[in-house]
Amino acid sequence: MGPRWKGKDSEARALAEPMSEIVQQLQSCLIHSKTRGLLLGCSVLLGAGADCMDLLIRACFGQPIITAEKDKQWFELSLEESFYLFHSLRCLEIAGEDKRLKNEDEIWQYIISKKPAFPYFYKAYSHLRDKNWVVRSGFQYGVDFVAYHYHPALVHSEYAILVLSEGSDDVNGRLNVWSDLKCMVRLCGSVVKTLLVLRINRSDGYLAVSPLCLEKCNVEEYTITRWNPEQCREEKTINKRTGVCRMVSRACNNNAKMRVGDVKYQEEIAQDNGQRHNADPEEEKEKLEKLKF
Amino acid sequence: MEIEDLASSSDGMSDLEVTSKELNDEELQYTSGSIPKLQFKKDTSKAHWNAEMGMAGVIEKKGKMWITTGIVRRGKLYYTIEETLFLAEILAVHMLDVDDTTLFLKDLYEKVAEGKSGCCWETFEVYRHLKSLGYIVGRFSFINQLKTLQISDLRPDFEVYLPNNKFRKSSPSDPSFMLYVTRAHPPSRNEIEELERKCNGIPLKFSHVDPGRVSFFSINRVELPILP
Repeated sequence: MGPRWKGKDSEARALAEPMSEIVQQLQSCLIHSKTRGLLLGCSVLLGAGADCMDLLIRACFGQPIITAEKDKQWFELSLEESFYLFHSLRCLEIAGEDKRLKNEDEIWQYIISKKPAFPYFYKAYSHLRDKNWVVRSGFQYGVDFVAYHYHPALVHSEYAILVLSEGSDDVNGRLNVWSDLKCMVRLCGSVVKTLLVLRINRSDGYLAVSPLCLEKCNVEEYTITRWNPEQCREEKTINKRTGVCRMVSRACNNNAKMRVGDVKYQEEIAQDNGQRHNADPEEEKEKLEKLKF
Repeated sequence: MEIEDLASSSDGMSDLEVTSKELNDEELQYTSGSIPKLQFKKDTSKAHWNAEMGMAGVIEKKGKMWITTGIVRRGKLYYTIEETLFLAEILAVHMLDVDDTTLFLKDLYEKVAEGKSGCCWETFEVYRHLKSLGYIVGRFSFINQLKTLQISDLRPDFEVYLPNNKFRKSSPSDPSFMLYVTRAHPPSRNEIEELERKCNGIPLKFSHVDPGRVSFFSINRVELPILP
């Protein structure tokens, strides 16, 4: 399954403005404006000026918070997103409730106290972000993350991601029983995504001790897909340009074309955009046009 | 805007197909008259059950099923218990005991239950599912495993070939894939690695059995590309 672009121009727009460049611009912008985030519960809030706001949206970090304030746009970032900006891109400073900037160890300890399995999730998140994939929360699908080839407004997500840790004391407790595995594969199939497992292997001990431990582990990627013997012939072809692996079914029985008006497709747009069900396709088109790039 | 070939993602459409099929199954089996009828074979071979070998020795070949089933030992064709039972269910073989008395399905099911012939019930259900669809399925053989002589019990259950009317037992090509019938839990990473080692580069698939239903999965190591 390759990337499913939304609209005819999307792929060209993505090629014209690579995600790596947008992220680099965001990095410069945040450093230049000395933006700082505020740790609040399991989120980080930051107020962005016009330049950074645009780049945060285009690079897909955080969710905008709707407020009446005009000169600043507030964003809510997940722990993974904010730590990525802080630790990997070194472009964000983070303050705590005492308004004092925290150093790396303090931030790490705070995050671990809220989310003990954070090191594994962060390793998985940063592994894909470093490869310029757009990674968002997968909570709508009951998975840990979803990964997009580019901005979600222009492309559907290809992968639904579960994070597993090595060994019997798996921190996430997923895919230990058949009912969970089958449920996940079925769900992914019905929303046209591939289930991707990121297995985090630690070379020594539990990862939580310090951020330095992140360097000592590696990530293995696995897809889990259902195989249907009734469909008889299946060949895998690898697209040499993108490296994307596409399943081509030769004898496929119900090769129905799905149209925009199809209920399933509408549900999917709604899910991807976190919007209400029964999205109007014309409305969708208008929204795509309005998003300025 | 049209989304073409969403259905070419086999996982997507097969799940949608399964949904309606399963609903229909529940409805159909409300009356005994609606149990699906199997196509019975008209040409019935004959075979003797050999308890010592745990296999059926074929004494009369009829029809075409025997071409892609069984193994040849010292010039004689033998069926494993799963092959025997499959053929017996569709009347492609008439089974006889040592004393020439007929062995009925009940006797063959009991042989599977005894567990002495190398195949348990779940493994048989997987065998039957693929064989009914025309796949060529053989037990995993150690003949090709000269490199990996390991004591561990963990090994694939079957070697599977895609349906092929030119298949010849005497000169098969490499199997299309190996198949492991999972037990209680999804396979662990170590189990997957150990099984793959025994496959010598041939792809491995996994199957899981709920009573009467068989499903298949692939677990593939991948590496997502670095994007621009």
